[in-house]
Amino acid sequence: MSSDQDHLKETDTEARFEFKKEENSAFETEKGLTEETVRVISEDKDEPEWMLERRLRALEQFQEMPMPTDWPGQPDLSEVDIGNIVPYIRPDIETRGGAESWEDLPEEIQDTFDKLGIPEAEKNALSGVGAQYESEIVYQNMQERWEEKGVIFCDMDKAVQEHEELVREHFMTKCVPPSDNKFAALHGAVWSGGSFVYVPEDTTVEMPVQAYFRMNSEGMGQFEHTLIIAEDNSEVHYIEGCSAPKYSEFNLHSGGVEVFVGEDAHVQYSTVQNWSKNTYNLNTKRAICEADGTMEWVSGSMGSKATMLYPSTVLKGPGATDNHITIAFAGEGQDIDTGAKVYHNAPETKSTIESKSISKDGGRTNYRGLVHIADGAENASTSVECDALMFDNESTSDTMPYMEIQENKVDVAHEATVGKIGDEDVFYLQSRGLDDDDAKQMIVAGFIEPITEELPIEYAVELNRLIELEMEGSLG
Amino acid sequence: MSTQVHANLTEEQVAQISADLDEPDWLLDVRKEALAALEDLDMPDVIQTPGRTWTNLDALDYESLVDPLEYAQEKDRVDAEGVDVLSWSEALDEHEELIREHFGSVVDPQRDYLTALSTALFSAGTVVYVPEGVDAEDVKIRTRMNSQSLFNYTLVVAEESSSVTILERQTTGDDVSGDRYYSGVVEAVAGENAYVQYGSLQTLSEETYNYQVKRGHADTYGTVNWIEGNMGSRLTKTSVESRLLGDSSESKIVGAFFGHEDQHFDLGSRVWHEAEHTTADLVTRGVLDDEARSVYEGVQDVGREAWDTSSYQRENTLMLSDESEADASPKLIINNHDTEASHSATVGQVDEQDLFYMTSRGVDPESAKNMLVEGFFVPVLEEVEVDELREDLDDLIYERLRE
Repeated sequence: MSSDQDHLKETDTEARFEFKKEENSAFETEKGLTEETVRVISEDKDEPEWMLERRLRALEQFQEMPMPTDWPGQPDLSEVDIGNIVPYIRPDIETRGGAESWEDLPEEIQDTFDKLGIPEAEKNALSGVGAQYESEIVYQNMQERWEEKGVIFCDMDKAVQEHEELVREHFMTKCVPPSDNKFAALHGAVWSGGSFVYVPEDTTVEMPVQAYFRMNSEGMGQFEHTLIIAEDNSEVHYIEGCSAPKYSEFNLHSGGVEVFVGEDAHVQYSTVQNWSKNTYNLNTKRAICEADGTMEWVSGSMGSKATMLYPSTVLKGPGATDNHITIAFAGEGQDIDTGAKVYHNAPETKSTIESKSISKDGGRTNYRGLVHIADGAENASTSVECDALMFDNESTSDTMPYMEIQENKVDVAHEATVGKIGDEDVFYLQSRGLDDDDAKQMIVAGFIEPITEELPIEYAVELNRLIELEMEGSLG
Repeated sequence: MSTQVHANLTEEQVAQISADLDEPDWLLDVRKEALAALEDLDMPDVIQTPGRTWTNLDALDYESLVDPLEYAQEKDRVDAEGVDVLSWSEALDEHEELIREHFGSVVDPQRDYLTALSTALFSAGTVVYVPEGVDAEDVKIRTRMNSQSLFNYTLVVAEESSSVTILERQTTGDDVSGDRYYSGVVEAVAGENAYVQYGSLQTLSEETYNYQVKRGHADTYGTVNWIEGNMGSRLTKTSVESRLLGDSSESKIVGAFFGHEDQHFDLGSRVWHEAEHTTADLVTRGVLDDEARSVYEGVQDVGREAWDTSSYQRENTLMLSDESEADASPKLIINNHDTEASHSATVGQVDEQDLFYMTSRGVDPESAKNMLVEGFFVPVLEEVEVDELREDLDDLIYERLRE
């Protein structure tokens, strides 16, 4: 346990809990997730009764479900001590006060950002993790334009207050019910912060909606919830930058993302994640796609100690399409278990999954995928392509796709390849005057190009930089 | 475990089987230990996706399927020059030390509940012993099961620089009313520079539940090749495995299956690369009709020390009916970066354009479809290096298409 954690435990946690104790006599500060904790969070946020009820139900489900331990080759979660979860939530709120300035951030993060060359303005925003900056500085102008069209983009806590009916209908009901898995249930019980995006019918939001710092300023970013509702014939691109600023000393991140893609609508969800290397990243992300709608997931998973994340799409209406592009990079001590899930539940649905992974210095990457084609999903087609690149012999790269096909009029293809970095390629580049490291970086940049070209330029640059830094071994 | 056979299985019965076969004490002990272990063993791993288990072996009522002392069978063994192809009793007479050395060395006799059950109860045994330097082709083993249950065991030992091709047929003979249970274990040891090719053609009756494990160890420059044809049975759970233990060893696993009605196939192909410069090639093709279901899992496991590995896998399934279901999971586990590996899997139906092309040339739709299905198997049949097996498989496919 870091000294920061000790510090937080000693001071803020107890102080806050004890303060609450006066109001709720039943409440105790004991470890473990209790009903009282959930009530306190809900009360803090002044939530309507239904949300509290949902939280409590999720808590019940969380307590009933066993830890997932029987997946073949899954990352080791034995360190994830659910009994210690409560202190991990509370201090998180306190990071608002805890990291008021850039200098207060852990050195690892400061370093990373210096090296990344994140613009000074962003750095300032980051130093405002404490909340005073929020994201308005960056987005204000755009927001006005959206607002006129009826687009809503705000944080989830605010959405519960101001857009109650929309949230009530969509929040962890049809898309990611808390019963989905243990960590979805945990998320349902203690979620806090996150983004709410609503795009009305026939509306196109041309510029990507970005959430980069805002979630940080919300403090409890570890359990943030993102809800995106794109009505019929609308279009939106949501980008979540979860770089090192989301660093927290707490070792569990369990976010939830729900996306509703209306008929003919088009949603792209892009994320570049670089969690600190003591984080367990156990997320649930899912989209439901109506007829002729398109869902696109673009994700780069860099950091974390262990990641279990399989963004999924339910192709509910005929003609719906899903595209997944993912890249995972695992360095020393990292186990990045990620992939994609697609349910073809209607005819003429299409999906493509393109997954790339790089492992280095003993890191492990795994592609774990599921393509399910239901009986009746005629003319469904799917193709899965996985490529793994390995740098050395300490690293591991696995591929575990699953295909469940219940309909015969389909076209299903899966392909995976694994290879080392080509000595010949390196030699070729070296003979053109590049040194060994540069040559390898260039090969990797080429390898991940299908991902970077889907991202807006600044994210592509960031992803490339992150990978460069990983390869130099100078990050984290 | 919900279903257990050992409740009404006694040590006396096991001793009886062992005595019938004139076995030495050490072997009886192995059987008894396996019997005792049933108490704690789990069913073999079946293909699982998170939250879903595809084959429920626990649900089988082994107690009613297994009759330990009834093991009527016919066994033909055709040997080739220089090779010993022996029944279990003969083999124990002639090569007890060899058996003692290798029995259970490749397939753990207690690897799971069903294997241990097989160890305790096997009555039909064959040993194929290929002495150093001998080249043998066309060893044949025909096993016909005439009782309700049968436990079959085969040990293949190929010494240094020898080679052998073995073809095994597994069929049901006399009609027995009700469900049946067939269990087969094959252990193959390929010594240095030895070559073992083991083909099996399973056409058990469709009232038969079929459990099989085939596993080979390949020494330096050794080769273990498997050909796995599955046509019969009601439920088949099989695992075909090669461990490449010596440098430059090789394995090829070629599989073909054709399921119809309510047949269920749970098929595993697994290769472990544990030495340098090893090569593996896994090729499986299957067709599903009616309500048949297949679950396929192919694993290529490249170990930390397996430098310069080449490993390839292809699995293709053709679905002829909308009630059928095909699940596939080709897995790559890579721990050494000096590896060239790929796997692919496809599921699809008979190509509409091909069908149109043929019907427009005057071929009636049914024949056109049949021809395309036969054509689908060609790439796998081409890999079957045993002529007789290839021809038989081809005939069986032909017949099934015209049933």
